[in-house]
Amino acid sequence: MSPSSKPTSSSGTIRVRIRRFDPTVDAVPRFEQFEVPAKPLMRIIDVLDCVHEDLQVDIGYRWLCTSKKCGTCAVKVNGTPKLACWDEALPDMTVEPIDNVPVVRDLVTSRAEYQDMLARVSPLLVRKRDYPGFPEPITETQFASTVHLRDCIQCLACQSACPVFAQKDSGFAGPAILVQLSDLAQDPRDDADRADLADRVAQVFKCVSCYECERVCPTEIPIVGEAIEPLKRIARRSGASSGARRARAFWEIARDEGMVNGAKVALRAGKSGLGALALGFRLWRRGKISFASVFGKGGSGSDAVRRAHQASEKRP
Amino acid sequence: MVEEVEVVETDVLVIGGGAAGANAAVKAADQGARVVLVVKGLLGKSGCSIFASHIPYHDISTEQKSRDRLAYAIRYYNHYLTDQEYCKRASVYMRTEFFVELERLGIYWRRDGDKLNATAARTPTLVAHKQGASGVLIMDKRRRQIFDRAIPVYEECAVTSLLQDNGRVVGATVLDLQRGRFFAVSAKAVVLAAGHSDYLSTRSTGTREQSADGVAMAIRAGAEVANLEIQWWHISDVLAPKSWMRYHIYPNPLMGTEETSRVYNSDGEMFFEQKTHNPGTSAPYIHQLRLLAQQVKAGKARWDGGYYSGFTHIPADTVLKYQHQAKIWGKLGLDVGKDLLECGITWHMRQGGINVSTERMESNLPGLFIAGGLGAHYLGGVGPSSYDGKVAGESAAALAAESSKPAMPRAMLDAEQRRVFGFLKADSAGVRPMAAKLRIRELMWELGYVKNEQKLNAALDGIVAVREQMVPKFGLQSASRAWNTGWMDALDACSMIDATEAMVRSALLRKESRGPFYREDYPYVDNENWLRKIILTRDGNEWKSRTEPYALPYLKPEKSREPFFEADF
Repeated sequence: MSPSSKPTSSSGTIRVRIRRFDPTVDAVPRFEQFEVPAKPLMRIIDVLDCVHEDLQVDIGYRWLCTSKKCGTCAVKVNGTPKLACWDEALPDMTVEPIDNVPVVRDLVTSRAEYQDMLARVSPLLVRKRDYPGFPEPITETQFASTVHLRDCIQCLACQSACPVFAQKDSGFAGPAILVQLSDLAQDPRDDADRADLADRVAQVFKCVSCYECERVCPTEIPIVGEAIEPLKRIARRSGASSGARRARAFWEIARDEGMVNGAKVALRAGKSGLGALALGFRLWRRGKISFASVFGKGGSGSDAVRRAHQASEKRP
Repeated sequence: MVEEVEVVETDVLVIGGGAAGANAAVKAADQGARVVLVVKGLLGKSGCSIFASHIPYHDISTEQKSRDRLAYAIRYYNHYLTDQEYCKRASVYMRTEFFVELERLGIYWRRDGDKLNATAARTPTLVAHKQGASGVLIMDKRRRQIFDRAIPVYEECAVTSLLQDNGRVVGATVLDLQRGRFFAVSAKAVVLAAGHSDYLSTRSTGTREQSADGVAMAIRAGAEVANLEIQWWHISDVLAPKSWMRYHIYPNPLMGTEETSRVYNSDGEMFFEQKTHNPGTSAPYIHQLRLLAQQVKAGKARWDGGYYSGFTHIPADTVLKYQHQAKIWGKLGLDVGKDLLECGITWHMRQGGINVSTERMESNLPGLFIAGGLGAHYLGGVGPSSYDGKVAGESAAALAAESSKPAMPRAMLDAEQRRVFGFLKADSAGVRPMAAKLRIRELMWELGYVKNEQKLNAALDGIVAVREQMVPKFGLQSASRAWNTGWMDALDACSMIDATEAMVRSALLRKESRGPFYREDYPYVDNENWLRKIILTRDGNEWKSRTEPYALPYLKPEKSREPFFEADF
């Protein structure tokens, strides 16, 4: 048994540009560049620590665990949200605060808006049936569909990357909220009306399934497939919003006819959210989403559509 | 400069947002008290509670199991430096309330099929989700519970001092770190739950905000501190990258197996796995330290590397299924089933803390209750800390119910405001407060695990030098009040100086070795003379000490004196 022989060292210098912004004195943000010696296996947070500790520059940044637990060190590196304690430092990197949240100072962002939304849609399990006593009769199988959702550390990288959440007027709660909500909505012990919360408050049907959230998730949660799609299924059955009506119409027409006619969906859904259509167009025009992502990952025969829907019916 | 200071009035002030503080806030509110919670980091995200890996499942269903459980707590976790009656009460709480309350709240205690998945150890443990992730989920539930009850929470707000009126603790001063706003909380009772795992050594599992503020502010207020020298170190924490020193390669049984990680020296010889080297205790840490010390002596490991740990004897799928930490291998381009990671020793929990009377979790200062790892009564852990939170929260609420509104000690408030704002000056020629923090960590790292009188005196001199030579010259890069890292560092450094001075003074007094505390000049566990609590207080600049024996109603050590390296606890 020999210790790992794989290389664990690197050499040279890390060049890092950090966005500095103190809202109490600065009119606009500026970038400051630093060079720190590269050390073995360095993470992004190690570079920020070097700037703070070794170069003794008082950059504003936040971390509370450095072991992918607290989810408070997410930053944007060369344009992509990363968890600073998890992802490796790059030899040349620009570090900025994550998007779609107010900046407190430099890389530190406020979590207050996220917390407020979480309190509205997904505070705690709601039990209307009596708790049967410990340990309650639940099984591993009942919690298998949400096993990856429990890896969520609420770092908000996904909220930062979400093009719909970025639209301030969208009303969309964002993928991180939906992961938490979906975990509860799929919990066999929960008796709250999560369908209504998902539909009206979190506005789950605003999600355009562009998979940006999954691309940036440091804990590799299949956010669309295992959090958002199940929520949409739950909300589709009873939701009253235009998004829910449209999804229901889409689903029913696909089930009955094996194919979807856009005009029929619009007809059956009533005033079917021209606003959402406009939002989709806006995102497409800005290159935030592609039509392929909106319309799914490939076509299928009508039989396959029916089979898929039958399978879908059996899910939560 | 003295500005008008806003005073927030409440019945119970809780300081600290880990398992102890959060539960204290909930339970005090449930008693009808108005509660204010102040957290230096973010509630349920900062502190060490989110690091909780697997929670001891206190099986007390038979006499034998109950005795095993108590032995684990008293002998292996606290080395007899604990209140045995408290251990028994905490055990009953764990079994009858802790798991139950959290399951009701929605925690999914991991099942295998339809059965609770408990480790195969003599004292089994349960996990929420995965080994290494339990604390994250538990604290997330607590966080939501507190927001659900609409308890006012001041996050990223550091308590800088306890306020006292004629000796009684009547509140605290607070600095809002995001905005630089200084305010006071006036309270009829205060629960201090500031934790026990601090970033006080170059290598530490303590995190950025953990600068022993709780110990320091209590000492300044005249509280008794006890056994501060009993400091744990981990041996199997990752060496590189540096920030991953907080990743622990658990030496406890892996869920679903009887296996633990193994540790190998620089020659590739295995020198630790629990079932070979430390069967039955479920608390292998102390034993690991002794084994590593022997390897270091033989030149086959260093304290900061040259030895390795991992799970190469277990199928990778098993480790990945049950353990949060397992993914670090893949992230480094390694294979958990084939590769080992280099390790270094790492400062971890502190057994000592503030002296507490455990019936009501009272300190020696009227109005001040202590909960969790900050107390000297027990090592800590989210279970016992939650129990403390319950007792302290309910006791504080009861005291508040029978107390009238306290007076605000204006002179004390003004003096503290001057101290805190005294650091807020830009001075490019000044000493950066971070340099003082680094120096303290370096001193404690150099002192390390193997101590003697000479090394302790050198550490003490070093700490005093930081206080006298660096602190008066502090200068910041900016005088902004918004998230001023240098300003935070200045306040942290003062706490670290006061706390480490007390730790070293306490270590100089203990003339034996015990648990994680090793003095090579006294290499014996001396139960005859030192099964005692070392209690320190500071009055102005003068330190006083005394010792007290422990009551041993349930468990006594077999030997009055034994060589340190032969003891099993």
